[in-house]
Amino acid sequence: MSYLSVEYLLLFLAVVIVYNFTPKKLKPIVLLLASYAFFFYISGKLVFYLLLSSISIYGAGLIMKKIDEKRDKKLEKTSKEERKTVKEKYKRRKKIVLVFTILFNVAFLFFFKYLNFFKKISNKIFNIFNINHRFSILKYAAPIGISFYTLQALSYVIDVYNEKIEADKNIFKVFLYLSFFPTIMEGPITRYGQVSDSIYNGSKVTYHNFCFGFQRILWGFFKKFLIADRLNAVVKVIFKGYMHMSGASVALGAIAYTIMLYMEFSGTMDVVIGSAEVFDIKIPENFRQPFFAKNITDFWSRWHISLGTWLKDYIFYPVSLSKPVKKLTTFLRKHINNRVSSLVMGAIALFAVWSLNGLWHGAGYNFLAFGYYHFVLILLGNIFEPTIVKVCEKLKINRKSTIYKGFQIVKTSLLVFLGEIFFRAINLTTALRMIKRIFLHFDITSIGSEIPNLGLDVKDFIVIVVALIVVLVVSVLKEHNKNIREDVSKKHIVLRWAIYYALIFGILIFGAYGPGYEPVDPIYADF
Amino acid sequence: MKDKLIIVVKSILFALIFALIYYGLSYLLIPGNNTKKYGIIKTGEFEILQEEENTIDAIFIGDSVVYSAISPMEIWNEFGYTIFDCVGMSQLTPISYEMLYESIESQHPKVAFFEADVLFRDEKNIPIDRYFDQTFKKFFPLSTYHNNWKEKTLKFLNTGDDFTELNVYKGYKYIHKIKGVTEQKELKETKKAMRIPKANLDAFQKMVDLSEEKNVKLVLITNPNYYNFTYERYNAISKLAKKYGLEYIDLNKDNPLKIDWTKETKDRGVHLNYWGAKKVSKFIGEYLKKTGLLEDHRNDEKYQSWNEAYRIYKNNLK
Repeated sequence: MSYLSVEYLLLFLAVVIVYNFTPKKLKPIVLLLASYAFFFYISGKLVFYLLLSSISIYGAGLIMKKIDEKRDKKLEKTSKEERKTVKEKYKRRKKIVLVFTILFNVAFLFFFKYLNFFKKISNKIFNIFNINHRFSILKYAAPIGISFYTLQALSYVIDVYNEKIEADKNIFKVFLYLSFFPTIMEGPITRYGQVSDSIYNGSKVTYHNFCFGFQRILWGFFKKFLIADRLNAVVKVIFKGYMHMSGASVALGAIAYTIMLYMEFSGTMDVVIGSAEVFDIKIPENFRQPFFAKNITDFWSRWHISLGTWLKDYIFYPVSLSKPVKKLTTFLRKHINNRVSSLVMGAIALFAVWSLNGLWHGAGYNFLAFGYYHFVLILLGNIFEPTIVKVCEKLKINRKSTIYKGFQIVKTSLLVFLGEIFFRAINLTTALRMIKRIFLHFDITSIGSEIPNLGLDVKDFIVIVVALIVVLVVSVLKEHNKNIREDVSKKHIVLRWAIYYALIFGILIFGAYGPGYEPVDPIYADF
Repeated sequence: MKDKLIIVVKSILFALIFALIYYGLSYLLIPGNNTKKYGIIKTGEFEILQEEENTIDAIFIGDSVVYSAISPMEIWNEFGYTIFDCVGMSQLTPISYEMLYESIESQHPKVAFFEADVLFRDEKNIPIDRYFDQTFKKFFPLSTYHNNWKEKTLKFLNTGDDFTELNVYKGYKYIHKIKGVTEQKELKETKKAMRIPKANLDAFQKMVDLSEEKNVKLVLITNPNYYNFTYERYNAISKLAKKYGLEYIDLNKDNPLKIDWTKETKDRGVHLNYWGAKKVSKFIGEYLKKTGLLEDHRNDEKYQSWNEAYRIYKNNLK
């Protein structure tokens, strides 16, 4: 089931009704039951793994809390000289709990998502070395949203370990944090400190929250049904038949796929955030106008924000501050210079981040290539930034001018479009072939004859363009910090309702559903 | 209190205006002639009602196995008979009865084929979304006809005649995908018969009574289905056919149509693809010819829309 479906909307409405008529104290329990029912509806008995993860982090949190309490008691009776030793002793104990919990949770993720991938690699190696052993490749379904809730689980135990948050004694609260049904399938990857209180608050469903939440949900449907589902046909045709198309059409396919992915994923986030808003729960944004980014680093601070910040907090910083990296950077600082030292430190941490980012998206070489593609771009950006600044100064180019910013935006977008080919292609070889085709067989004149065969008619393309203009206008306003929904809510009721009806009937009439259209599968639900 | 009252009034007003616009737009987008007699609600649910009255010679009632196996346009092209697939995904026997009733009322077909595998579908096992889908289509016609905004002859753009939407596939779902059977299935011959749920037997009884009353030849059929076929099912249907004195066409046992399950299925033996459907449709055409009940309409003025539909159908084949 997709969040962008009538089925979800109906289930969601049923939960809202039950929640609304439940006493405040029991409201969080309604959400918890609904979340587990939702999970069971999609993944059946695999709900057991979610339960295990929840129990593990809840238990680990409490054990670490106990260790902290013992340490604090001990410290009260300890002299200043011995305090460091005592602290380290208890930290070591906590570390054992942390490492065990991380391994426990990562083991499930590895089993469901990566075991077959590594078995295939091993089989290839056995083949090369003529070793007469092959691992059998078994097919099995993974619990829905395992990549999302596992990262949430890890963030909880790491934050408790680092004493950023206090371990919660309320088992229901921890369970609800991990299983909350609007975020379980596709994120955002929330942090306990960010959301746990509002999730467990049991706030009333107010008229204001209900209306605002549903506006946000509708906006998600608009993006999915008018744009993403329509572009799906184009993407399928081009990615399947790229060998018989010009490079220009392949490039068009990459652009269409990137837009489709954005509309589908950000549309889902609109539904997720809107659903939570109905319950007065604030879920952090996962997108911030990514196509206004001026470089790749900027892009990733605007696209799938929660994954980026997770990797920054739990991979980038720990790797940068790890002992071996610190030793190396000190050595480089002494023997070369500060800049090289910080570049190397950044490169090592970024390499770890992008390896995991690639693998998180899927177990395949193309996903690893997707990660390394961005790693290289960011690294090159870091290396050449001072040179670019100098060149611009010499050529008297104003880096703050609109033209320069526009150039940066276009450049970044083109690089992103190219990178998404790795993401969508069925394997790495296909991705490389498609990129080769773009550069070696680029013929803009043939695009006119190829467009009519892409599975959409002229009217479909008109709908896409008009809907994209609407999304662009909204994005520009948001980029300028305009709160569109608040602005609309202050308008006269006639105008306000006219906007709502236009949105609803726009989706109902111009939505790409029914015979002749194939909806996009929820792309991120597979991760 | 006053605030609450305002909210309630506002919500009701919003819903009323919504309904007004919804059905207003539905009126504009539904094909006029197709719904002349039955209105927007029924044609969303029963596709056959879009056809001109008394123009269908034979109907097929059943589930996705039928709409993957019987292509009325293939039969039209070769034999000139007008066939319609009255189908629904995971159709239930009570729905099959409704399909038969509506079809007989508007079309008076001479032959009605019923996909007997439907009888084994237990109502309790049907996911809720199937009911939802059927009900939704019934009361919210805009979801069925919304794409007609692309039609040049929309009512509000053309104040002249209402346009008629030509149903090209007549209930068939064209699939050219190949996903062949990879593992051979072992079948054990037995004399045991599979149980048919009582609710389905009751609905079937009503189908038999109705056919007799309206003088329609009811034929039981099991279309090729590598995945589902068992001797238990075959025995149960044979028994039922014998009980009611009905003809039973089984297209599974000993594979009489020589279906190549490595190539002529779209999903490893559950549904046929276009090439499989071509074989079954040809067989049905020949069967109907042998009955001598139907006439070839290919050169009949009244049926020229079928020739037009076939032209479009042929163009759409990949």
